Amino acid sequence: MSLLTRAVTLALALLLALPVAGPPPAVAVDDVKIALVVPLSGRWARQGQLKKMGAEMAIEEINAQGGIKSLGGAKIVLREADAGDSVEKAVSAAQRVLTREKISAGIGSWLSSFTLGVTEVAERLQVPWLTLSYADNITERGFKYTFQTSPVSSAQAEQALDLVVDLAKRNNQPIRKAALIGDNTAATVFFFKPLREKLLQAKGIELVVDEVWTPPLPDATSIVQKLRATQPDLVFYGATNFPDSIQVLQKVKEFGVKTHIQGVGAWLVTPEYVKTVGKELLDNIQSVVAAHPLKGQEELVKKFVQRTGEPFMTQDPLCSYAHVWLIKEAAEQAKSADPKAIRDALAKIDLTTGPAASTLSPGRIRFDERGRRIGAVPLIVQWQNGEPFTVVPVALATRAVIWHK
Amino acid sequence: MASRSREWLAIAAVVVAGLVLSLALTERYHHRVLTLVFLWATMGLAWNIISGYAGQISFGHQAFFGIGAYVTVLLTAKLKLTPWLGMLGGVGVAVLAAVLIGTPTFRLAGIYFGLATLAYPLIFRIVMDFLGYQEVAIPMMREQPGLFMQFAEPRSFDLLALGILAATLVLSRFIETSRLGYSLRAVKENEQAAEAMGVDSFRCKMIAYMLSAVPAAVAGAVYAHAILFVVTPEAVFGVLVIVQTLTVCLVGGAGTLWGPIIGAAIMIPVSEILDTTMGDRLPGIQGVVYGAALMAVMMYAPEGLYWRVRSKLLARSRRSVGATRAAPAAADVGAVTPAGLAAAGPVLMDVRGISKSFLGLQALSDVSFDVREGEILGIIGPNGAGKTTLFNVLNGFLLPEHGEVHWLGKSITGLQPHVVCRLGVGRTFQVMRLFPHLTVLENVMVGAFAHGGSPDHARVAALAALELVGLADRADVVPTGLTTLELRLMELARCLATRPKLILLDEPLAGLSTDGVELMALMIRRARSSAVTVAIIEHTIHALVKLADRLVVLDQGRRLAEGLPGEVTRTPAVIEAYLGSRWLARHGATQHAEDLRP
Amino acid sequence: MVASELTQYVVTGLLVGGVYALMSIGLALIFGVMRVVNFAQGDFMMLGMYLTYYYAVTLGIDPLVGALVTIPPFFVIGLVVHRVFLARVTGGGDPNREMDAQLILTLGMSLIITNATTMILSPMPRAIRTTYATQAFAIGPLLLNQARTYAFFMALLLAAAVYVFLTRTDLGKALRAAADDPEAASYQAINVRAMHGVAFGVGIALVAAAGGLLATYYPIEPNVAVNFIVLMFVAVVVGGLGSIPGAFVGGLAIGLVQSLTLLILPLQLQNVGVFVAFLLVLYVRPQGLFGRRARTV
Repeated sequence: MSLLTRAVTLALALLLALPVAGPPPAVAVDDVKIALVVPLSGRWARQGQLKKMGAEMAIEEINAQGGIKSLGGAKIVLREADAGDSVEKAVSAAQRVLTREKISAGIGSWLSSFTLGVTEVAERLQVPWLTLSYADNITERGFKYTFQTSPVSSAQAEQALDLVVDLAKRNNQPIRKAALIGDNTAATVFFFKPLREKLLQAKGIELVVDEVWTPPLPDATSIVQKLRATQPDLVFYGATNFPDSIQVLQKVKEFGVKTHIQGVGAWLVTPEYVKTVGKELLDNIQSVVAAHPLKGQEELVKKFVQRTGEPFMTQDPLCSYAHVWLIKEAAEQAKSADPKAIRDALAKIDLTTGPAASTLSPGRIRFDERGRRIGAVPLIVQWQNGEPFTVVPVALATRAVIWHK
Repeated sequence: MASRSREWLAIAAVVVAGLVLSLALTERYHHRVLTLVFLWATMGLAWNIISGYAGQISFGHQAFFGIGAYVTVLLTAKLKLTPWLGMLGGVGVAVLAAVLIGTPTFRLAGIYFGLATLAYPLIFRIVMDFLGYQEVAIPMMREQPGLFMQFAEPRSFDLLALGILAATLVLSRFIETSRLGYSLRAVKENEQAAEAMGVDSFRCKMIAYMLSAVPAAVAGAVYAHAILFVVTPEAVFGVLVIVQTLTVCLVGGAGTLWGPIIGAAIMIPVSEILDTTMGDRLPGIQGVVYGAALMAVMMYAPEGLYWRVRSKLLARSRRSVGATRAAPAAADVGAVTPAGLAAAGPVLMDVRGISKSFLGLQALSDVSFDVREGEILGIIGPNGAGKTTLFNVLNGFLLPEHGEVHWLGKSITGLQPHVVCRLGVGRTFQVMRLFPHLTVLENVMVGAFAHGGSPDHARVAALAALELVGLADRADVVPTGLTTLELRLMELARCLATRPKLILLDEPLAGLSTDGVELMALMIRRARSSAVTVAIIEHTIHALVKLADRLVVLDQGRRLAEGLPGEVTRTPAVIEAYLGSRWLARHGATQHAEDLRP
Repeated sequence: MVASELTQYVVTGLLVGGVYALMSIGLALIFGVMRVVNFAQGDFMMLGMYLTYYYAVTLGIDPLVGALVTIPPFFVIGLVVHRVFLARVTGGGDPNREMDAQLILTLGMSLIITNATTMILSPMPRAIRTTYATQAFAIGPLLLNQARTYAFFMALLLAAAVYVFLTRTDLGKALRAAADDPEAASYQAINVRAMHGVAFGVGIALVAAAGGLLATYYPIEPNVAVNFIVLMFVAVVVGGLGSIPGAFVGGLAIGLVQSLTLLILPLQLQNVGVFVAFLLVLYVRPQGLFGRRARTV
């Protein structure tokens, strides 16, 4: 019996020792490889696929116009790895893709916990990593290789509140009562915290409803009932889980609650909302996002829509598009595909032109020593007739804001 | 013994193989896969201690895994405590959790235990989110990576994981070969029989549970540092953890320490290979193939690969058990005191006014009698008279509503069966309660453990008991190959191994041929002459008339008669109870009840 | 707390619980007859949602009706799945061993179903737009969401139909016999294996119908099961493993507990109330509200 076990164990040992990675497809020697670690299967597959679409579009554009000039026209190649639906899988994906070949830079991973894990791997392997995640803690770890292009949640909270209060005032409907309803995912938590603790009070706004849930939400009645009872002027809304969000919005309509809903994140402006609850329900709902098509990006959006069949372009594909272009610029400036060199280039980059800069408001890309983008401001996007448009800042808006209660 | 040192050798071989692999592999990702194999094998082994050995299937072992991860990481994040020490904290909290969870939960049987354990990690998950720990990133300590378990060299992680696996293997093996291991297996196979043989089943289960929490917590802590880098409630308390554990154990085979190793060594590389080769290019396909692989394994080997392969190999070399053998030697008759002539000694057990009812049905009504040292007391009565219920009250399985049982002058009413056993009251069962997957010798050893001692002592005592009943040459056979007579003898030997002063035999003659009855009777007399008092239930009178010194007759829960066999069998009330008043009227009271054969 | 507010909580809980109840009956039937813990139960529900969506989108059938129409095809699917896969693993022998194997078998099934659906139908969430999902019946101060109310009554109807089936028809009685005592049942010329197939088929059909009802107000995506599977098991256990009326009551109870927990715990801890109730039931009355007490010595 022990002989058998030994035999089996050694046979399995041989199996393990076989190269686990299949041979990568043939590429030219000096291609620049960018890793994309996002969920492509499982619960968040949709979001990951959107990110992939944006990255692919950028890569095609770059290669079509001659690749990376300072590297002799080197083409960019995408190496995607499926982060699945667990932190273990996401980190495995990052390890896998970053050790199989020489990767110059990486993008991902949508869920902030995945991003935290993946950027640790990138940090240890010294590969620069770009992320659109909002959570503050991503760039609070003293990492050198992580670059966060979105404004962080706490900053977004402050800026968004200012913007919304201003908008309301200009429309003669000052905000006196506010509600915070959302789940306890990291970005939402980081956004709500400063609001709850000081920002609302500083503006003399009373917090009348503060409801946080653990997804999945079984029923939205108790939450919306409270909204109905207190009638806040403004609701900051953070339901990142799609079915939860649908339930809340449906219940808002059902109970006839009239208020101004301000979403916190780009999850609120995806096409599936239209199909699920209809454009009437969505009309005028706004959301604070890190990126959305701006004035001047109409061609880009048209191209994306044609390529992918998506009805419109949103933050996720837009950011990965911008990230790829940003990496391209960094590679140009570093004159190298070496990840360390690209990282150094990113650290001192000051970009005001090109698709990357024009995508990331307010049009200038610089990073501080933590890896946060200096001067990053959030946008406000509003649903109008079944499509979300950038309404704030006005200079970059594609539509004027419609404000009514 | 040779086979035992072979097992240790095999364990060493596996560890060495792991070491060789760790040194041979070069790619970072391969080391990660190896670390995962070792960690999940460890978690599987931890699960196996409570669910495999003790048979208490747990669906909540991830509670300890998550506690180990969170406590260690939080101590580092908040207090900058090194995880090498933090892990001890994690283990401590996990063991405490095991005690707190186990205490109310072990009362539940079978799947209910598993379901209750499931609730705890589900609750912990929500609470962790609520407390704001939805994403605890392990702070990167660049200055002292080793001190904080943040090795730059990936090989260090697999060596660490291998070390934990080796330690858990050693722990598992120790449990297997210890008294605890035998007790656990007995509890798993038949908890009530184990209790009656002196095994404190609650204590055993609790010890097993606490022991199983240790490697789980350690595995969780290392998993957080080696694999996750950021701890989320879902990642360490989530369902995926127990799913992975179950997969590894059940594919490999539960109840053996090789199971989790085989399961982990196969399923984890398969999963990773699928991710690598197909998953990135055609996302989702790896899930389909992996799911299909799981289904295929379960359909081919539902008991697990280890058991399947083993039974296939053993089937070829299995010796036939079918050859008829002569009945055990019935020699040494002279050493036996004939029935009826034994001098009745002092009262050992005093049964006073026992009443017991079930859901309104009165099973026992005010039953009183005593059992005197050195006698063979027969308890007879028609079916449904309450005889077995009476025994269940006597040795602690049931609590009477009224009445008391006194043993050697002290009340034992309501004491747990294993306590009663250790006080000297042994028991066999009407429907035989064997430990079917233990050998005959191991079955009897469980009884021998009642008075402590190491497995070696127990083995010697068990062999002696088997010799007494003439079964010594069947010691290494599994009970399924035995005849009814041999099984009854084994039960008797097991009971005698607990070194009782009194044995309660519940219908030991049922299902035996005339020769078998003779032999059992001989064994019972032999037991009595080695200073064991016997109380024996039978419902056919004629069998007991020759064997018993005195008879107590029960009918419908009441004591109908008591006295010498000859007198009792002529009592009209007794005849009426067995055959009815019409028979009595027709044939009169002179008919000996010995002729009564229902 | 005003009486009307409390009543609203109770009503909300019952409406939510109604659909849990229907989801759980299927699980309870499968466990009661076959002793199978079907990991893939939620995924069959998901498939039922997709089929209902298909009926709504291509044939214009309202999902309340569509849910009923999922029953025949899923019954057949259940029969086939049982025959091809489960029967092999639940043949005979040690009941303990079998249960373990089924767990992994149904787990494998679950993985295949979810991933294949993601690949074939895409992970994009879909929904059936019904007017009644965003309308409520107003009864005094109470608001009853129309979709959930219709779903509740449909669930009640289906559960009653199952109950009648099990107690009044010969096939139903044969099923219960096979559940109670397979050996004795086989002596009565009941084909226990076929009964298992029927039980699985009915169980799958019921949960598919529950999915269809859920689809009147809940979005459809390949991983939707993950939000309900634990609650299903909890409901079945609270009601009593193997008891059909128990599972129904269990589902309602879980919905109620979820809702009423909000009176004492913060919203984030809502499901903690459910799990604590679950533990209490197991500790105090492990056989559940309606289950039979486990045999003692």
